[in-house]
Amino acid sequence: MTFTVHRSSLRIVAGAIAAAGLASLGVATLVGQQPPAGVAKPWTMPRTADGKPDLQGTWSNATITPLERPQSVSNLVLSEAEAARLEKTTSDRVERLNQDSDPNRPAPPQGGDGSTGAAGNVGGYNNFWLDPGERVAVVDGQFRSSLIVDPPDGRVPATTPEARARGQARLKMMAGRGQYDHPEFRPLAERCLLSFGPTTPLIPNYFYNNNLQIVQTPDNVMILMEMVHDARIVRIGGTHAPKNIRPWLGDSIGHWEGDTLVVETTNFPLQQPFRGAAENLKVTERFRRVDATTINYRFTVEDPTTFTRPFTGEIPFRATDELIYEYACHEGNYALSNVLSGARNEEKRLGTKK
Amino acid sequence: MITRRVVRELSVAVLTAVAVAAGFWSTTPATGQAARAARMADGKPNLNGIWQALNTANYDVLSHNAKAALAFRPGPVVPVPAAPLLALGAVGAVPGGVGIVEGDEIPYLPEAAKKQKANQDDWLNLDPEIKCYLPGVPRANYLPHPFQILHSDKAIFFAYEFAGAVRNIYLKDPGEAPVDSWMGQSVGKWEGDTLVVTVTGMNDQTWFDRAGNHHTEQMKVVERYTPQGPDHLWYEATIEDPGTFSRPWKIRMPLYRHINPNARLNQFKCVEFVEELLYGKFRKTPVQ
Amino acid sequence: MTTRTTFSVLLLGAGLLLAGRTVVAHHAFGAEFDPNAPIRLQGKIVRLEWVNPHTWIHIETIKDGKPEIWMIEGGTPNTLLRRGVTRETVKVGTEIIVDGYQTKDHSLKRANGRDVTFTDGRKLFLGSSGTGAPKDGRDSTEPPAPKKPGGK
Repeated sequence: MTFTVHRSSLRIVAGAIAAAGLASLGVATLVGQQPPAGVAKPWTMPRTADGKPDLQGTWSNATITPLERPQSVSNLVLSEAEAARLEKTTSDRVERLNQDSDPNRPAPPQGGDGSTGAAGNVGGYNNFWLDPGERVAVVDGQFRSSLIVDPPDGRVPATTPEARARGQARLKMMAGRGQYDHPEFRPLAERCLLSFGPTTPLIPNYFYNNNLQIVQTPDNVMILMEMVHDARIVRIGGTHAPKNIRPWLGDSIGHWEGDTLVVETTNFPLQQPFRGAAENLKVTERFRRVDATTINYRFTVEDPTTFTRPFTGEIPFRATDELIYEYACHEGNYALSNVLSGARNEEKRLGTKK
Repeated sequence: MITRRVVRELSVAVLTAVAVAAGFWSTTPATGQAARAARMADGKPNLNGIWQALNTANYDVLSHNAKAALAFRPGPVVPVPAAPLLALGAVGAVPGGVGIVEGDEIPYLPEAAKKQKANQDDWLNLDPEIKCYLPGVPRANYLPHPFQILHSDKAIFFAYEFAGAVRNIYLKDPGEAPVDSWMGQSVGKWEGDTLVVTVTGMNDQTWFDRAGNHHTEQMKVVERYTPQGPDHLWYEATIEDPGTFSRPWKIRMPLYRHINPNARLNQFKCVEFVEELLYGKFRKTPVQ
Repeated sequence: MTTRTTFSVLLLGAGLLLAGRTVVAHHAFGAEFDPNAPIRLQGKIVRLEWVNPHTWIHIETIKDGKPEIWMIEGGTPNTLLRRGVTRETVKVGTEIIVDGYQTKDHSLKRANGRDVTFTDGRKLFLGSSGTGAPKDGRDSTEPPAPKKPGGK
């Protein structure tokens, strides 16, 4: 039995960054439906040899639009001015963090620098390592305040009593045990088993390497995520694996509905819950190429044993000619041994070792 | 130590005989005998499928006898399996095999030859496969796990079962890799019906096999994939590394298609499987 | 430096407008580094490990007249590679200043690179600000993607 503890913490932090940016807009104004400025070119759907829309290439799902809409923002759609302001805020921040430091700066404060969350009172590292996205998500010409479009409040629906009971049981199981006691208690990302944040559906992680490569054959569609070099191979026209086969990314089968690729994923592993859903989680993804540089990606998450209702989100995948680089995580994972040996070392220093 | 040398010398004698008798090294693969390989719309061979080598090269790319284990300690009469392997019995034994190296010799520089011996002697601690590290090229192709080629008119992509390793075969050269990586940077082109892939930018951490054969980050591998009928690929790779070898050398083998209609790439994310090995000592209460 | 905003601000909702300069991903930094062991290091780079999930910068410092090798944790190198950084960009021998906190395992000379700069205070690298953004057709003046070093 393995446990997942605190896996969601990074996601929450990431979401908070983006959500907080939006929240600063205050009361949302009425919607402008202007399509984005740009040069309109005649475009015809590129197709593969077997006549299907060609989804291939390298795509980025990075965006500053958060998964969930901040409660202070009421509309899904932002005006162009609001979107521009958010983007300006983002680029101003990068510029500010690029500024020189004081070469005579002392060591940071004894006792910690006051940072909380994932940065855990010790700060993190320089902003230049990050590449979280710079643009508000644009779907069908609309600037979006959240990736979730349904329910209408743009938020993950409430969980069921059953799901909360499962969460309680997990907590109970951890009672009396420390989160650094065993590698199995560490988050999946820290163990280099998966990326942080959801991997199916393809929600951006709001930190870095939000790149995807799609390779398409008549029988398979392969979706490579840069993070942790995870390739999900979707079998076109296939049937799901037996219920006891539960790959890390789930088991994906697909079919074409007109010009839309529809992918259904089930068989998620129990130790990899998406907001508490795993055993009965079903993710349906719809890939629709809408212009030369964009795939509209729509995902629906269902699990009646976890969520009080399904929810759906939309993310633009934008073509990029950047290269995808190897994210060989496990091989260089000094962090996990540092964390575990650090806990042992600290116990010794503090005399808490049993 | 004496016993180990005796075993080694015996092996060499036997293997030389095997190699000569088999006449393997003068054989060139027959092509085009059976049904024709499938083709893409653009006329190129269609490489789509799940492929696997069926040989013992991952134990040792050179010809080798069957033996009791991959690591030994001295015994009263002959060497016996190293203590950590003993419980595996026949499961931990090594099947013999005809090597995949042309000429059955790796042209090591003297220092590099010493390093191979040291690697082999400390195999349990040093083989990156044991730690579930990405296998590098060419080893990825003859691990005892299949791999899937996804081939379209725009892309060729290799997904390996072992460790979830991947290689995108660039069909347009992006230029020198900015830093080294485990799987390197692959650039492919077609020469007739042969896909030729040049792999550079690999780090010096991967091995060729469980026998400690190794290389530096200067290695360049030029691979050739040629269909031989619908269900076989002939695979050759020329290995060049002036930091390790005195001349280029070559490996070759068939790759077989998984023809079961239900065949699929399974998951072997072994990172999780080696946590006890790598991190068990850091547990609050180590497993006894 | 007294005006530095911190990560907590993000969580409290001021968000992008006031975000601190340091954030994390892959793992929780508080799990790895000791807030009671702040350090400021100055030394020459002796080795750069361009590996994931974290780049490690090895520097040689002098303490009590004796050399020490410290390993400084950075972030994923992939973001920098896409901005054109290669193994040649930062040379071994370059002198840098690092502030951060030592690992909780004090037997290791390792620390997080909370702020890594050249000795004149310039950041070791620069963050992305528009360049390298995916093409979404929204900016007709969008410059072409930056040229990759070593490209043919």
